[in-house]
Amino acid sequence: MRYIRLHRIFISQYLKKLMEYKTDFLLGAIGLLFTQILQIMFLGIIFSQIPALIGWSFDEILFIYGFSLIPKFIDHLFTDNLWMVGYRIIRKGEFDKYLTRPINTLYHVIAENFCVDAFGEALTCILLLAYSIPRLNMPFHWYTIPLWIIVTVFATLIYTSLKIMTSAISFWTKASGHITHMLYMANDFSKYPVSIYNKFVQTVITYILPFAFTAYYPASYFLTGKDPLFCIGGTVIAGTVLFTLALFIWNRGLNAYESAGS
Amino acid sequence: MENMIYVENLRKEFKKIIKEPGIKGSVKALFKPKKEIVKAVDGISFEVPKGEILGFLGPNGAGKSTVIKMLTGILMPTSGMCRINGKIPQEDRKNYVREIGVVFGQRTQLWWDLALRETYAVLKEIYQVPDEQYKKRMEFLNEVLELDSFITSPVRTLSLGQRMRADIAASLLHSPKVLFLDEPTIGLDVVVKENIRNAIRKINAEEGTTVILTTHDLSDIEQLCERIVMIDKGKKVFDGAISELKHNFGDIRTLNFELVNAPDFKLLDYKRRFKLSDADISAERDKGSVKVRFDTAKVSVEDIISYTLSTVHVKDLNIKDVEIEEIIKKLYRQEVSI
Amino acid sequence: MSRIKRFFRTYRPFTRAGIQEAVAYRANFICFLIGEIMSAFIMYFVWKAVFLSTDSKTFMGFSMEDMVVYLFITFLTGYLTYSDGAFSVGEEIIDGSIAMRMIRPCSFEMCFLFQELGNRIISISMIFVPIVAGVEIYRYAVSGVVCFNIGYFLMYIVSMIIAYMISFYFNVCYGFMAFFFKNLWGTTLIKETVVGFLSGAIVPLAFLPQGLAAVLNFLPFASLSYTPVMIYMGMYSYGEIAWRIGLQLFWLVVMYGVSKLIWRSAVKHLSVQGG
Repeated sequence: MRYIRLHRIFISQYLKKLMEYKTDFLLGAIGLLFTQILQIMFLGIIFSQIPALIGWSFDEILFIYGFSLIPKFIDHLFTDNLWMVGYRIIRKGEFDKYLTRPINTLYHVIAENFCVDAFGEALTCILLLAYSIPRLNMPFHWYTIPLWIIVTVFATLIYTSLKIMTSAISFWTKASGHITHMLYMANDFSKYPVSIYNKFVQTVITYILPFAFTAYYPASYFLTGKDPLFCIGGTVIAGTVLFTLALFIWNRGLNAYESAGS
Repeated sequence: MENMIYVENLRKEFKKIIKEPGIKGSVKALFKPKKEIVKAVDGISFEVPKGEILGFLGPNGAGKSTVIKMLTGILMPTSGMCRINGKIPQEDRKNYVREIGVVFGQRTQLWWDLALRETYAVLKEIYQVPDEQYKKRMEFLNEVLELDSFITSPVRTLSLGQRMRADIAASLLHSPKVLFLDEPTIGLDVVVKENIRNAIRKINAEEGTTVILTTHDLSDIEQLCERIVMIDKGKKVFDGAISELKHNFGDIRTLNFELVNAPDFKLLDYKRRFKLSDADISAERDKGSVKVRFDTAKVSVEDIISYTLSTVHVKDLNIKDVEIEEIIKKLYRQEVSI
Repeated sequence: MSRIKRFFRTYRPFTRAGIQEAVAYRANFICFLIGEIMSAFIMYFVWKAVFLSTDSKTFMGFSMEDMVVYLFITFLTGYLTYSDGAFSVGEEIIDGSIAMRMIRPCSFEMCFLFQELGNRIISISMIFVPIVAGVEIYRYAVSGVVCFNIGYFLMYIVSMIIAYMISFYFNVCYGFMAFFFKNLWGTTLIKETVVGFLSGAIVPLAFLPQGLAAVLNFLPFASLSYTPVMIYMGMYSYGEIAWRIGLQLFWLVVMYGVSKLIWRSAVKHLSVQGG
């Protein structure tokens, strides 16, 4: 309860800051929107020549793409400060501050910043889903929406956990922003159906860096209603396992932390 | 008296990668980094009674900050123990830090882009200060640290002195029992320094807050601390009252005579009169006055004064106590050992 | 001759500093590279799926083999011509340290240029040969004949170097934009995406509607990536290559001129601000 109250305070503080740097955020959001739109134009060009991409129609591909942006933008919006851990906070010794406060360090770091730039992604996401869902004949049950919410939570956890882990590496190495960056590039794999990749890539993005569970598997369940156990259960398991692991690594990192500077 | 802080045989070791200069060195570091263990803190013990202001000093790289960071729960000691306010910082960090305040002079804990007031509003939540108490506390801090004039300005627009006052207030918002101040006067001008010292004194006197203060500025120490702990190369080299430090090395005094006729300086020859060497006595002309430094073990203050008064006309005279700075300089240069 | 010697002696330390920086930040560079290679492979899989989904052997005139060569040579060209030295111009403008540049007795952009060369020299030598060799082996394996053409290859190198210089001056101009926006993250994202698209790095310009493609072919962006890649692939005749490179040179002169103009007004701006 206390943490929810705290989060409200942090958000209101953040909104005040936002007012000070309006153009920055606008430009960031426009940038992200642009990136997504050009990617979709690329898909449009492809589908102008072929009716389906190994069995997936344009609308279905757009749905998967849009679906992949849901956990991505939520994670982006709330936990963007984790990037700073790997890039700056530890290297410059700024982490000391968090350790002298009587709240959880991980929570404190995450809550301190929000990235409204993510609204660029959110907007693309909404447009894509709003365009594709009415054109698709998706199975709908009373439990579809609760399942959707559950999947969103755990898919976001997959993103956040991977970011926590890679940021925590900097407790040992002082800087790890580049590792987070590398991982972030890998999440582009999730935008397309897993079946386009070869066996090796499929295995990696299913079992090792389970990005496929942030988008393709759950999205394909919502599209077809097939394999709920694997598609939804897998997302829940992957999110839980990764988050547990992330917390473990973070806490080990705290003990190894060697404050920089004098 | 009950002790607020116990430190026992505290140690901290770091691994350090040594890089040789030049491209060759960089390439070498790429394949075979050389590692070395640095003992930043090497077995330090001390105790601080409740309500004391302890000066913690040592030259750059002596390990001061590392000790402070272990005491505040930021760093894990390699071995040894510290117990503060009955708690071991690393064991129950969240509960421990609720009752301490920390200021790192070189780094702010304020929210850079927000009005100062907003930082306090967030800290109030973080430390769960009740509304009523928060209001009273802000009034008190306002009075002591004079925050009123800039509390609505964004932190990034504050001057260094304002920022430091704001930072100290931030660390005191939750009425901590122990306050750690790491270089709280660094880079400030004399007037601001004085303000900050007054504030620290006042808080210590009114609330009985135990204060640990590290600083390079020895006048901070002289004005605030009864006791100092001095460390060098990770080891404790002195622990005691300032008067004790002075007593041990305090034989050197300086007498200052303002002469009626400046050229009379030539008439004074202390060395020959008392048959002493340069090390034991020296006289220096400074415009219209003479500054005599001498060892009280070799010659008494009385003798110097009576000789001077009988030789020349003196307008005014004053006596200066030995300055702690001199002793510390000597200690760092290892001219003396304790 | 001695002037050239002195020129290189002045800027050699910057190259050396660049190399040392590259070694110090080697982990960053490797991770960055892996990330970029991964996105090249994602595109590879997407195109493979596209060709699996169509009955025809070609997609808008490109065979699968062409597409693979296009993807990886575009990736290589993008990597080789990437310039972010100017990003530091922007950062220095924002934090005000750009003033220090003006009291040094050397051309500020040359400092960046030579530092960047030093910074990239190791990574370029590490990826250039493997990618070219990989592409050629792939072409040989698919078609059964050696497709490597030394003439096209040399023309590619020339075109690529000009592309780098255009990219460098273009980014110097962009760095100055920090004067106006005081923002780098958002504007960089917009710039990289738009330039990526307009230069043909996302899809070959030939896939775009004809009118648009014709216009883009003349804009400076095509000179950054599309032109060298097309030359490598042997899509242009020698006559066409000559005038494409001529166009590149034209854009290089324009970019250079614009960067000089902006620099001059920036200096004035700085002295007004007292920055």
